[in-house]
Amino acid sequence: MLAASLPLLTFFISILIPGKISRGGYFAIANTAISLLISVLLFTQVWNKQQIHQQLDWFTVGEWTFHAGILLNNISVMMMTLVSGIALLVHIYSTKYMQGDAYISRYWAYLGLFCFAMLALVIADNLLLMYMGWELVGFSSYLLIGFWFTRQAAVKANLKAFIMNRLGDIGFLIGIMIVLTQFRTLDIDVLFGSRGLVHAAFVENGIWINGLHKMPGIWLTIAGLAFFAGAVAKSAQFPLHTWLPDAMEGPASVSSLIHAATMVAAGVFLLARIYPIFNPAVLTVIATTGTFTAFMAATIALVQNDIKRILAFSTISQLGFMILAMGVGAEASALFHLVTHAFFKCLLFLSAGAVIHEMAHVRDQHNIQFDTQDIGLMGGLRKRMPVTFITMLLASLALAGIPLTSGYLSKDSILIHSFEWAEGRDTWSSLIPYAALITSWLTTFYIARLIFKVFFGKLRLEKQFAKSFSVHDAPAAMRYVLIVLAVFCLFPVFSFNPLLFEDAWLPAGFPVTDTMTRVNMFHTIIPAAVNVMSVVLIYLAFRWYAREKKMPGFKAYMVYRFAENQWFFDRFYNRIIVGGIVSLSKIIYGFDRVVVDGIVLLVGKTGIVLAGISSLTDRYIIDGLVNGAASLAGWTGRFLKHFQSGRLQHYYVTMLLVILAFFIFKYYSAAI
Amino acid sequence: MNWLSILIFLPLFAGLLILLMPPAMQKGYKYVALAAICIQVILSAFIYFNFNPGLYPGIHVQDKFQLVERLPWIHIGLGSLGKLQIDYFLGIDGLSMPFLVLTSVVMLVAVLASWEIKANLKGYFALFLLLDTAVMGVFSSLDFFLFYIFYELMLLPLYFLIGMWGGVRREYAAIKFFLYTLFGSVFMLLVIIGLYFSVTDPETGSHTFNMLAMMDPANYGGDSIFSVLAKQQLFGVSARLLGFIVLFVAFAIKVPVVPLHTWLPDAHVEAPTPVSIILAGILLKVGGYGILRICLSIFPDAALQSAWWLGLIGVVSILYGGLNALAQTDLKRLIAYSSVSHMGFVLLGIASVTTEGISGAMMQMISHGFLSSMLFFLVGILYTRVHDRQIPHFRGLALIMPRYTAFIIIAFFASLGLPGFSAFIAEAFSLIGAFTSENVNGLLPHWMAVCGSVGILLSAAYLLWTLQRMFFGETRLMGGEAWRTALSDINLRETVALSTLALFALVLGIMPSLAFEKMNVSVLELIRLVNHK
Repeated sequence: MLAASLPLLTFFISILIPGKISRGGYFAIANTAISLLISVLLFTQVWNKQQIHQQLDWFTVGEWTFHAGILLNNISVMMMTLVSGIALLVHIYSTKYMQGDAYISRYWAYLGLFCFAMLALVIADNLLLMYMGWELVGFSSYLLIGFWFTRQAAVKANLKAFIMNRLGDIGFLIGIMIVLTQFRTLDIDVLFGSRGLVHAAFVENGIWINGLHKMPGIWLTIAGLAFFAGAVAKSAQFPLHTWLPDAMEGPASVSSLIHAATMVAAGVFLLARIYPIFNPAVLTVIATTGTFTAFMAATIALVQNDIKRILAFSTISQLGFMILAMGVGAEASALFHLVTHAFFKCLLFLSAGAVIHEMAHVRDQHNIQFDTQDIGLMGGLRKRMPVTFITMLLASLALAGIPLTSGYLSKDSILIHSFEWAEGRDTWSSLIPYAALITSWLTTFYIARLIFKVFFGKLRLEKQFAKSFSVHDAPAAMRYVLIVLAVFCLFPVFSFNPLLFEDAWLPAGFPVTDTMTRVNMFHTIIPAAVNVMSVVLIYLAFRWYAREKKMPGFKAYMVYRFAENQWFFDRFYNRIIVGGIVSLSKIIYGFDRVVVDGIVLLVGKTGIVLAGISSLTDRYIIDGLVNGAASLAGWTGRFLKHFQSGRLQHYYVTMLLVILAFFIFKYYSAAI
Repeated sequence: MNWLSILIFLPLFAGLLILLMPPAMQKGYKYVALAAICIQVILSAFIYFNFNPGLYPGIHVQDKFQLVERLPWIHIGLGSLGKLQIDYFLGIDGLSMPFLVLTSVVMLVAVLASWEIKANLKGYFALFLLLDTAVMGVFSSLDFFLFYIFYELMLLPLYFLIGMWGGVRREYAAIKFFLYTLFGSVFMLLVIIGLYFSVTDPETGSHTFNMLAMMDPANYGGDSIFSVLAKQQLFGVSARLLGFIVLFVAFAIKVPVVPLHTWLPDAHVEAPTPVSIILAGILLKVGGYGILRICLSIFPDAALQSAWWLGLIGVVSILYGGLNALAQTDLKRLIAYSSVSHMGFVLLGIASVTTEGISGAMMQMISHGFLSSMLFFLVGILYTRVHDRQIPHFRGLALIMPRYTAFIIIAFFASLGLPGFSAFIAEAFSLIGAFTSENVNGLLPHWMAVCGSVGILLSAAYLLWTLQRMFFGETRLMGGEAWRTALSDINLRETVALSTLALFALVLGIMPSLAFEKMNVSVLELIRLVNHK
């Protein structure tokens, strides 16, 4: 608990006291270091021992109490140690990398917030808390991607990242709603523990039954897909992967911590935590998505020229491997790969950061303009930046899965499990392991291309500007971090046996489906196949990119352009989906103004017209009647006044006529 | 005099005091208003801390209310017709108490925003305080007639506040607002009268306006128009359903729900900043409160019958409001439409008639009260400085107004439901309530909650897009250098007001129990009442 809250303290202190202390970041480093210490301590206590589960009442809605608590078991202490460890290294690295930035205290604050959120996500004991951490890491990632907020590309990228993650969050939330409705609790241990409710619930006649609670069986699938949607967004899987390459607009240190090692792995972590909820149909979807993403991203990485974008697509591809492993039931392999990948990908990014740092240094010193991340301009840095070269080489070997590295162990275990999974299924299923195998070759090739282009040959920048530049290794703080990380790319950290993943201690700490022993030939053939082909590919890449010889003209092919444009996903999303929604919103607003408000105004106008009509009626008809009556009276009066002449003889004559008329009338009426 | 009466009439007295003060003391008006509202905040805090949630669920039993004050007000013998009985009847329970606190805090912020008002101060502050009295009265009356009086009393000051101190099209907006709302409440009066003639007070035997008496079916006359048993028909529709619909429409205009919302963007945009704050922060909640307190409690049978439609309207409001907000170029109008979207969650939560849903709806009202006030306050800051609020006219404000931008980021992220802020808990529970409804009481189908959750994506889209367009990037302003000097960062008064609101949203987000524990029993009692019949 304390481990998680210390970085939060960093956040508040750094944001509230922008003094000299927080600028140096020593405070932030100290906090992260203590977090790491606590994590390691907890790791030793919990790993392969009793899990710790503590909780407090948080709040009550109606009669229903929600708890806040921590659940520490193998997976969470492992993640805790990983997160705080890498965070500490990145913090140290950043002291030099971010030196002199005008808003550096904000940088420490955001990093602190991120570490807090990530640790909270990892140790949360219920889905609601986990969701909170989940969104908060998205938020801190938003802040850090847009750290250089005056850059248009950066603020576009962070918007995109947040919105795409939100899309996944909706899935997560829907999953929570389904679980809550069905099981009336969100406690991870109660739900997904070995004797948990999810295990006990079953589907019968299309009805998903948990004690007295029932739902149509389809909701179990929907729940699985919904949670998976959350993981897809966070771990940048197809079709929500396009935010990650753009997220590289943030500082390289941020990319390495958040967008390579930790946050993007949260999706895999989520799948591991709630694994029992996935039914076979959903698992197939997961495996397929992972494989497709791994393959697609690897093809894109082959042809990119921005060093960070290559690594970003590589991250997507490797995350695809982890997701694939989850889908085929190799949970332990997925988590193993998560850990090894965290180290070597973090190292790749930090080395790339060191290179970019030097390039930017050259740019500023000579006051020239060029893209500091374009590998087309680099080259020959092997001798000028030896430490960076060696560490990055080690990380690349790990990424390619060459023996003696950590990546070899974890990647092979994924490949082997996928082959085993496909065996005994229909032929379509075997597409998945073969695609994964091809992808792993592609991986070898693109990372070899990167290494050869950056570190071998001649510095093409000097050729372009016809000047010689002095480029040297990164400052000590950055160098040591690279070296420490490089150590973690080697096999002894994970296994005493460099060739057999089955002996690694880390995956043994996780629930294992079936085979961790060498039961069949896959365990021999696949590593061999991977590596023989890899050697061939590395040689090809060496010829083409280091020696710059006999390179076929790939650029002319359609396939090349397709990959270069990242399979046109971005363009499709921007034009069709974003454009569509914005147009829809404009149409709806028009509808609101013209129709909905129009009806209101029409009612208003009708009122006014009616008022006008009644005013006319009033004036000419009703008042006209009144006036008419009055003028009738007046007219009668005026007519009658002629009789009041005051002359007696007129009155006599009138009286005589009246009497005469009366008698005439009387006479004739009697006759009748 | 009990605390509630003091709370209600304190602003009125302050308003009268302002009217009596000579114009020479013009500068003092705002301080009088501020002092009155500060006392009100302290009082409502006092009421909050002394509020005992455990044994007093309230809802439909007078003895279970707190701070009850019941005085005979208008009692006239009408010969053979019996006795006209209107009581001065106040009391609070878990449904109304949170709104008293909300009102006083939002009023405090609004009065701080009123520093920018320059013209005709006497009239302004007098009307402002009258409005305060009316709102407090609405939230604490338990007699329907008294409620109606306060309800209508809110319109009068608002009409003048918008019509006299508003923007360019203020008269149009004021009239539209006034007539629209009046349209709803006039028909409400008919239902009130119908209820009056249907219900007899069990104690005195005469007809009564007592709301609590109206909630008990036993009090209805055997063949009266709204009797539960008689099943009277009006125009071929069940009279109780019709009564429910009329009351619902009256409150729905206030909330507002699509398609009865078009007064809101106009009124919000034209109103001066403090009035926008009050409109969004409090008056919209009167609608939601009315639906809970009156529609649901007095016509539970009709409410259950139409829950599906209520939920649908809620979902439509969420999506429709969100899409409209996305299309706006005027920042204030954008926020106005976002209110429509956020209040849709309230209706969705209420329609579910589950504890989570109604608690979520209550929370959403409180949370939206703080956050929309904050948003309108922020827009007001920009507008008073440069008299413009078109989104495309600004860019890169973060460079010249860093503290302002920090508050914008807090307000935007809190509004879009970032965990740690109250809106997250509120929206999550409204949706959870709507989702569980199908299993608990079968009122709302699952898809409504699923569609509603798309609303949280839309709110992220329009708010963050605005953030990107206005605040990030290199600074570029339409007004050039003149604007750059005019756009000074926020001062102490503004910081205090904004921090208060941000703090409330944050505290409620981290410790939602502060609100939930006060209303839980009332919500449970309400649900029991609704499901009983």
